Amino acid sequence: MASLLRCEGVTVRFGGVLACDAISLEVEQGKIVGLIGPNGAGKTTLFNVLTRFEQHDAGHIYYRDRLIDHCHPHQIISFGVARTFQNINLFANQSTLDNILVGAHRLIGNPFSNLYSLPSARRNEAALVRHAMEIAAMLHLSDALDTPVRNLPYGYQKRVELARALASRPEIILLDEPVAGCNDEETAELRGIVQRINREFGITMLMVEHDMSMVMNVCDHIYVITFGANLANGTPAEIRANAQVISAYLGEQVEE
Amino acid sequence: MAGKIPGGALPAAVGNREAVAEQRRRFIRQDFMLVCLLFAVLLLIPALPFVKGWMAAQAVLVIVYIIAAQGVSILTGYTGLVTVGHGGFLAIGAYTAALLSKHFGADVLICVVAGGAMSALIGVALGLIFLRLSGAFMAIGTLGFAFFVGTIVNNVKVFEGREGISLPPNHVFGLPIGDIGFYYVAVLLLGLMTLFIHSLVRSGVGRALKALRDSEKAAQSYGVNRWFYRTLAFSISAGITGVAGALNGLVTRFVSAEVYSDIWYSVDMLVAAIVGGTSMLMGPFIGGVFVAMLPFFLEKLADFSFILKGAVLIAILMFAPAGVGGLIAKPFQAMRRRRLAEAGARAVAGAGVAESVAQEGARNG
Amino acid sequence: MLGQQIMSGLATGSLYALTAIAVVVVFRNTRTINLAQGDFSMIGAFLALIFLKSFGFNYYFTIFLVVVCIVALGILTERLVMRPIADSDWLTLFTATLGVYYILHGVAGWLWGRDTKAFPVTFDPTPVQILGTIVSEGHLINIAWATGIGIVLFVFFRFTKQGIAMRAVTDDPETAELMGIPVRFIVMLTWGMAGFLAAFAGILIAPIIYVSPQMMDEVLIKGYVAAVFGGLYSIPGAVIGALMIGVAENLAGGYLGSHYKTATAFAMIVALLALRPQGLFGIQKRREI
Repeated sequence: MASLLRCEGVTVRFGGVLACDAISLEVEQGKIVGLIGPNGAGKTTLFNVLTRFEQHDAGHIYYRDRLIDHCHPHQIISFGVARTFQNINLFANQSTLDNILVGAHRLIGNPFSNLYSLPSARRNEAALVRHAMEIAAMLHLSDALDTPVRNLPYGYQKRVELARALASRPEIILLDEPVAGCNDEETAELRGIVQRINREFGITMLMVEHDMSMVMNVCDHIYVITFGANLANGTPAEIRANAQVISAYLGEQVEE
Repeated sequence: MAGKIPGGALPAAVGNREAVAEQRRRFIRQDFMLVCLLFAVLLLIPALPFVKGWMAAQAVLVIVYIIAAQGVSILTGYTGLVTVGHGGFLAIGAYTAALLSKHFGADVLICVVAGGAMSALIGVALGLIFLRLSGAFMAIGTLGFAFFVGTIVNNVKVFEGREGISLPPNHVFGLPIGDIGFYYVAVLLLGLMTLFIHSLVRSGVGRALKALRDSEKAAQSYGVNRWFYRTLAFSISAGITGVAGALNGLVTRFVSAEVYSDIWYSVDMLVAAIVGGTSMLMGPFIGGVFVAMLPFFLEKLADFSFILKGAVLIAILMFAPAGVGGLIAKPFQAMRRRRLAEAGARAVAGAGVAESVAQEGARNG
Repeated sequence: MLGQQIMSGLATGSLYALTAIAVVVVFRNTRTINLAQGDFSMIGAFLALIFLKSFGFNYYFTIFLVVVCIVALGILTERLVMRPIADSDWLTLFTATLGVYYILHGVAGWLWGRDTKAFPVTFDPTPVQILGTIVSEGHLINIAWATGIGIVLFVFFRFTKQGIAMRAVTDDPETAELMGIPVRFIVMLTWGMAGFLAAFAGILIAPIIYVSPQMMDEVLIKGYVAAVFGGLYSIPGAVIGALMIGVAENLAGGYLGSHYKTATAFAMIVALLALRPQGLFGIQKRREI
């Protein structure tokens, strides 16, 4: 299987603090990979490095074996790397539809034709709106298309985040705690959606998550990180049985 | 290269989607009709019996404020960057137009286009210089720009400083136009600017600007190149205000440093944009009229105009942060959202979201 | 000659220093740029004039009264205008202070007229000789006060419990509140402090630049620029910025002509911001790509 996203020996220092210590991981195409670890283990920092919002101090990142160490944050979407945010980073005052449409920004073509609404741009826009509405329908957001997202319930907002990512026609989505703050019902719904996206559209995923029902049931492969460094990686079954992982979580329940 | 388009998912919901899309198109048409109506009214005003020539000049000055506020709103409302220095672009537009008119006898339309273009060009430069600024720092930077332009027009020979440049009578395509004729030109330009902004806001570029405003990080994650779009926003904003400046210079047929190095214009434009509503199409209209007419109505009581301006500003910020335009539009927006939701619910033969979910469930097994 | 110009520049700069400090203090604690800061001073200057001339109060009593009044004005502004919109974005807060500015301007013009009035000089008008240059006593007093207050505030914010608490409020108001720091009280205190600084600035500047509703306009702008110089975060930075502006202005005025004075201040700040977007002493944002 092709390696989609790979990082080797990524190290990040904030002043005196070592946030990431030579972390390596690899995400194969078509898989759902989980990244777990206790709070403060460096997962979000790693995410920020992978999505190019932070610069790492050592190590390398590859997309499809191509070095992307010096890419700017707005460039990785062009490779097909989308992301969702931990605490919901939607455009609060804008409608669901507009939020999803921004996801498709890289598909708008020449900004100047778009700006002047030239006929080719208008056709493109119409296609993008249809595209966005289809995605919204798939994620049960059709009844909220014109509502400003800040008025939406939490579960809806989580799905809008996903819809926005899907709109960009990604190859891989990086999910930062997709079910954080969700109740059981919302979690189950998102779990189903994530699995469906992966199976039906072949979209690869890398998710940081604390909710074990999500991680153990959905992921094909899991990386465990503690104190900013790799601890273990393997299938859910292997991780569940791993003594080091269990002790790292200090008795936290890793069942289901 | 990319993932498959998630589509063909819910045949029963297609009817919904089409109905909603149609309703959306209907709303856009309604907006358009309203704006056309407004402009029709504006164009017909001179035909009314009690309207005199000097009123046309005054009206043009109001239009100048409106267009200038439109320029500011692009940057402040749609892109989220503060500018307290757009007076600089007003000056650039005015002086470009003035010099072309005086030394080359250029006609009004050429002068205006040139004024806008020159402003836009300098707007690009400013956008690049201020790329890394935000908030309070951006405010100071733009203020500095206005001062800088003011100093240049005050001291560089060709601009004639405080003595000013008197301009020849205005003409379009060789035909001389008086106050009323100029009024029509101004209304035409206002229409063009409004059309442009309307199209911009609905476009992908407009979405990108708004995204940058609401969450820079998320916007960048989805490919919005901050450098490009910020500079573009600066340029467009500058160009529009430059057009206003050109009009201002040409209608009074006089440009002098006295007017254009006064930084209070910059502040006035910001106030106009905010009072009217920064991210609304109608905002600059309301705000521009308010700020332009204030000195007119409170001529003798200049101090009261200050107090009123301050009080209105604070009141707006406290009770109607989306500006007067936002206040007026709110009930309409709510009504429209209801209509769109109804259109979506008005499903084909009872099949709705519930049915689609059932179909999905069946598929997932 | 150069020495004289620099000295005069420092003197001019000291006029801006107190205002600059106030801008920094308010911004640091409340994320608000107070555009009304200058007019607080202006009102203070007018009140001082009235107390001194019409009521015939003694100078020190006048200072006391004016300070009380303007501190009250600051707190009033916070209560009536800023608190209701405390959760808004930066632009809203900024524009609200602009509204206060307009109101104060209008009220002053309406009550006292727009013409310039002289302020009774209470210090010895003969210039003092320092380091081979000539400085008026009024300017010296300004420099002394600006430096003194600057140092006191710097120490206060850096080293005292209350000062650190105030800084916590800026950095993370929610956590600060959770830790028992009375955020609202501190905000009120901040605006009171702004009033205090404004009162002094007004009284000290009035003899030098005379009293009128628009007297502080230029001072405010330059104080703002000086504050930005200090990154809107550092009090010593603001004072240094103010002094540098004063010197640069004077030098520019001498060599380029007086038209270029204000423009020089701005040219400096624009150049600085283009190179260092966070100002000279400002907080550096996390390393960006």
